[in-house]
Amino acid sequence: MFQNTKCECGHQNPTGTVLCEYCGKPLLEDLPLDSPLEMRYDGIARRSQKSNPALIDRVWNFFSSVKIAVYLIIITLVGAAVGTIYPQESTFINLDDPAGYYRAAYGTSGAIYQALGFSRTYESWWFVGLLVMIGTSLVICSLDRVLPLYKALSKQQVRKHLTFINRQQTIFSTTIEGEPEAWVESFGKQLKRKRYNVKRDGTALLAEKNRFSRWGPYINHIGLIVFLLAVLGRGVPAWHMDQYVSMDEGQTKQIPNTNYYVKNEDFTVEYYKDEELPDALKGTARAKLYETKAVLYECTADCDDPIKDPVLQEVERHDIQVNSPLSYKGLKLYQYNYEQRIRLITVKPLLVDSQTGEEYGPFELPVSNPPLTYTAGPYTLKLSDFFPDFGMDEQSRPMTKSRDPNNPAFVFIVTGPGLQESGEMYIYFPLPNAEDKQLQQLLNESFKKSGNNTGRFSFKVGKMENVSYSEYTTYLNVRVDRAMPFIWVGAAISMIGLVMGFYWQHRRVWLRIDGGVLTLGAHTNKNTFGVRNEVAGALKKAGIEVNPKALDNRRNTH
Amino acid sequence: MNWLSVSSDAFIIAFFLYCFSFIGFCIAIGGSRWSNRDIEVHKKRWSRIAFSLAILGWVSHLVFFFTRWKGGGHIPTSNMYEFMTFLGMAIMFAFIVVYLIYRTTLLGAFATPLVVIIIAYASVFPSEVQPLIPALNSIWLKIHVTTAASGEAFFAVSFAAALVQLLRVVDFKSKEKSAVRQQRGVEWVLIFIIVIIGFLVSVFGFRAGGYEAEFRQENFEIDQQGQALDSTASVKYDLPPIVAPYNSETVSMKSFLGLSEPLFEAPSWMNGVNAGRKLNTVIWSLLSGAILYGIARLIARKPLAAVIHPHLDGIDPEDLDEISYRSIAIGFPVFTLGALIFAMIWAQIAWSRFWGWDPKEVWALITWLFYSAYLHLRLSRGWQGTRSAWLAVIGFIVVLFTLIGVNLVIAGLHSYAGV
Repeated sequence: MFQNTKCECGHQNPTGTVLCEYCGKPLLEDLPLDSPLEMRYDGIARRSQKSNPALIDRVWNFFSSVKIAVYLIIITLVGAAVGTIYPQESTFINLDDPAGYYRAAYGTSGAIYQALGFSRTYESWWFVGLLVMIGTSLVICSLDRVLPLYKALSKQQVRKHLTFINRQQTIFSTTIEGEPEAWVESFGKQLKRKRYNVKRDGTALLAEKNRFSRWGPYINHIGLIVFLLAVLGRGVPAWHMDQYVSMDEGQTKQIPNTNYYVKNEDFTVEYYKDEELPDALKGTARAKLYETKAVLYECTADCDDPIKDPVLQEVERHDIQVNSPLSYKGLKLYQYNYEQRIRLITVKPLLVDSQTGEEYGPFELPVSNPPLTYTAGPYTLKLSDFFPDFGMDEQSRPMTKSRDPNNPAFVFIVTGPGLQESGEMYIYFPLPNAEDKQLQQLLNESFKKSGNNTGRFSFKVGKMENVSYSEYTTYLNVRVDRAMPFIWVGAAISMIGLVMGFYWQHRRVWLRIDGGVLTLGAHTNKNTFGVRNEVAGALKKAGIEVNPKALDNRRNTH
Repeated sequence: MNWLSVSSDAFIIAFFLYCFSFIGFCIAIGGSRWSNRDIEVHKKRWSRIAFSLAILGWVSHLVFFFTRWKGGGHIPTSNMYEFMTFLGMAIMFAFIVVYLIYRTTLLGAFATPLVVIIIAYASVFPSEVQPLIPALNSIWLKIHVTTAASGEAFFAVSFAAALVQLLRVVDFKSKEKSAVRQQRGVEWVLIFIIVIIGFLVSVFGFRAGGYEAEFRQENFEIDQQGQALDSTASVKYDLPPIVAPYNSETVSMKSFLGLSEPLFEAPSWMNGVNAGRKLNTVIWSLLSGAILYGIARLIARKPLAAVIHPHLDGIDPEDLDEISYRSIAIGFPVFTLGALIFAMIWAQIAWSRFWGWDPKEVWALITWLFYSAYLHLRLSRGWQGTRSAWLAVIGFIVVLFTLIGVNLVIAGLHSYAGV
């Protein structure tokens, strides 16, 4: 459609202009003549309003539409809501068979939900795609509007077309006695007191304040874009690490794929006392505080040497609690969980000669990485086999169920005075439970039958102080998230934009006196109530009493 | 001096002052018809009385809050009871702010009952001070919860203004299709509110009567490692069991109006004993809501919205539109800061990730997206008046689902909020 965009004032406007860039006269007459003007973006032509769009323009035009942006927001909103119907797969640790699990736990609807991929909504291509499209829309919508708006606002004319002024949301008209220029000047002073910037052009006036708040939405959008890019940046593997480390008290472990080691020096958990609890909770164990006294080491030498122990240097020390992670150079260790599980750290058993009743030792026996030889009195014990988590396989052969020291068993070859050269073989279970003791006796007897020992020796721990054990296992979550600073910067920019845009409002007042007739129009993009009060206040100071509500153009049109 | 007993007294005082304030606002509006004095004088006088009562109530509410803080040793925003009472206080604060800007009597008549309902709802939950679990022991409990609730409070005021606007604008005489749709819509919002009142009436009614029933359910579950777990759980009902938990047996049950055993059982897909209890509560709420609504309709002999409509003549719908929008404009940045940014900071510190798609997080995002759609439609697409009012009403329903629905229906990490 051909559109004549030349205004009667002589200004040539770009296609798509709603209000003449120069005098403000409406160029499109599709609205009733007395209704308030559409003042969005000051009636400028947006970049997307070209007459002959090429393909790239069409893409641009698509994303530059606020309507499309709102559709994207609504679809994302609905998609996000669907994702909360059942728990997401990512909330489970070690979910091997998701389809089976969802069917068993949530029935047919759960199975359908899982099969359609809603159990992975937030990682799905369509959801991520929606976020990317929102990001694109943010960029294009903003560019499409901010540049022309900036141009329009920086070259405003003081004297506007009467139609333009008369069709603002807030209007006023009256006859003025006396010198018009003097009246305009004194009225301008009133507006200046209310911190308006006032420009005069003879008997015309333009007063404006808080223009900066117009940039609020765009600054907010820039913040959101930074935020979204940072979220995408978390996908870069080098920027992101998420590991779990479990440690018993006293244990040191390497953080997988790093040069760092972490030691759990001590884990403590404190419960609320009964008198601190309300009646309904009395007698329950409610944790008050749990913390891991953690030490972070960096490996400085022999890190990958399988034979030598790594050389560790302490770099950081912190008592990790739920709301207080250890932080070192972008590496963060969080208290994730804990478990009460008794595990031996070291035992100091005595070697007992059951024939003489004599006791030898004690010797120190660590449960993790035990050394190969020990001495107890005149005897030497060689560790011939070690099962951290003792069990029997299908052929009743001893094996270890895991590498965790849940139920350690040691097999020693004892040599020394009065024994054969090859020594005698004994198995030892340090955990003081009846099952283990029985097993120990059974196995040692079978060794005796096969001629591996004479049944002369046994082991005994004696006093409790000869045993050191860990009561809790702590679980730490180790994270690296290099995108975080950008996330916070994006959020902060966004917040600044929101505050600028919502807590200040751009207000403008146009006024002209033609032949003793005063015509006043005022506009704001938010809070018309406020601008009416301000105009009525200034008019009152200039000697014209008017009810703020009477200034409302919308009401007059009813 | 016992801080906690002072606190609960202050709470009751605040509750009654809010009720009186509501009555005051109603007299200010409705009374202008029967008062033989000057209408403006009458309105001004009663608005002032009602607003003073609201301020006094709020001060008492503050006393409740700070004495409970002192007595309990931590900020009272750590469970559902404390959060809902705080939300009520925040809504009252938002109302006071908006009232001081616009001085609209009508808004008081709709905001105060909203606060009354919310703090009555809070009282359904156990009000004992519970010691903090380690996850909540953080300065962010103070910062995040209070700012998020303040943002939501402005959305609540916007809801109140939008509802008045709709009651004022919708044409209740018209038989046109679009008008009829709007009439029904407004009526349903009122029904929704009456169902909540029905819920409160049934809970407090049976609680006063000391009703109790207990059920036991044997549970067979498969855990994440594929191992079968056998457990029994029992649940206490405060309301007579119309519906029992799935596959459960009655331990004890008082008879109510000849109802001596549950009428039926919850369907199998409702997991756990509490699902049965919640379903029972929902049924009771609907039932008593329906009874209340039925009585009201019998007395009025026309839709309730049409009963309220003529009382709202004096006010400009444009003012209400402005108030509703302005409340959202004030609340939106606060909500963004509290419910998203502060939430992300705390999540980063406590849970090692700023965002984990936990249902509560997702619903906070949904609320935010909804209000951003509202703002875009209004500012860029020119949605004003009724359309914008409908969005403000729906928006607050989304807020309520985020605050309460997520904890009742979907669990997730915020489950300690203690429903």
